[in-house]
Amino acid sequence: MSGSPRSATVLRVLRNRFVWVPLLLCVLIAGWNGWVFTHDHGIISGRVVDADDKPVQGATVRLWIFDFATFVEHASTTTAADGSFRFTGNPSHNIQLSADKPDAGRSERIPIRLYFASQDRTLKEPLRLAKSD
Amino acid sequence: MRQKRTWPIHLALIAVGAVMLLPFYWVLKTSISGDNIFAYPPSVIPRDPNPFYYVDVWYAIPFARYFVNSVIVSVMTIAANVVLNAMAGYALTQTFRGKSFVLLLFLSCMMIPFQATIIPAYLITGKLGLLDSYLGLSLPLFSTIICIFVYKASFDAVPRSLIDAARVDGLSQWTIIWRVMIPLARSATATNVILSFIWSWNNFMWPLIVTRSPEMQTLPLGLARFLSYQEDTTGALYAFCIMVLAPGLLLFLMAQREFVQGLSAGATKG
Repeated sequence: MSGSPRSATVLRVLRNRFVWVPLLLCVLIAGWNGWVFTHDHGIISGRVVDADDKPVQGATVRLWIFDFATFVEHASTTTAADGSFRFTGNPSHNIQLSADKPDAGRSERIPIRLYFASQDRTLKEPLRLAKSD
Repeated sequence: MRQKRTWPIHLALIAVGAVMLLPFYWVLKTSISGDNIFAYPPSVIPRDPNPFYYVDVWYAIPFARYFVNSVIVSVMTIAANVVLNAMAGYALTQTFRGKSFVLLLFLSCMMIPFQATIIPAYLITGKLGLLDSYLGLSLPLFSTIICIFVYKASFDAVPRSLIDAARVDGLSQWTIIWRVMIPLARSATATNVILSFIWSWNNFMWPLIVTRSPEMQTLPLGLARFLSYQEDTTGALYAFCIMVLAPGLLLFLMAQREFVQGLSAGATKG
């Protein structure tokens, strides 16, 4: 037996593509914004290791952000005993990270693209220091 | 009876469709890969696809603001087009003195390019105090002659006896338009919505002239501004194009059946 005429009308309206397509878009946009809202603290974290994959303490890690036409240094921090570092308050979606330590060498500048500004990100690959010849 | 073979025509149509869709595919492919469009040999499959060019566009200019401006202007244009064109189209189905002259005048006006009317349109908009406002942005597209004729063709197909019956029942002209004619002219309404949306959405010249503050700019102006900002724009430019095109494509895909019916209504009328 079918439902009440009222529910049948609601179903018929919901099946209309001019209704369900905008509704679906609204749900997707709301879901995306919810995800952004809970992941936009600007936290960038990772590790610094040497050429033998051992953690490097006291290395300087620099955060570069894209500023109109080029990358400029935005902040720097020092690694802990386990080689970890953490930036808070990254404002950008297009950043680079580099690390260096006297006597231990320097890493390449690693580009990192984020899906939105201030997205929290933990680097899977560590920054690897290498002595330049 | 022998059945006609249809696969050759379908094959030909698929080939023609693929050729027409190729530029769209290329824009989409470049927007997610940033491939140089002049690279040889060209790569059909995108290399290392990623969405970051879209992110760049979102943050390079106030995209959300331009998008909202374009939506507001388009919604106002669509609403005005449906109301005003329906009334004008209905009036042109009636018999009155000078109807031929009015039709001739409308057809003549279609031949005047918009560029020729920009200065008087600007002066009128300025006198009304509507420069740099949503109403000023949408006003010149509030009614378009082509869309009036689309409604006229659709209303002409409605039997005269139906309108007479509505009059006998005591309905006013206004009520006849909205209660009798418009429900019977869904395809004409869809055509009006799509055409007025596309014209308003893609309008560049009039917003360029009538806006003064960056906050009132629409997406086509944003595209020009974006081009002046960025040097290496291959991927981001195409991403911007997709972001501008997407709403229009979506609207067209949703209403394409009614749109085609609306455009062909006048052609099939006996």
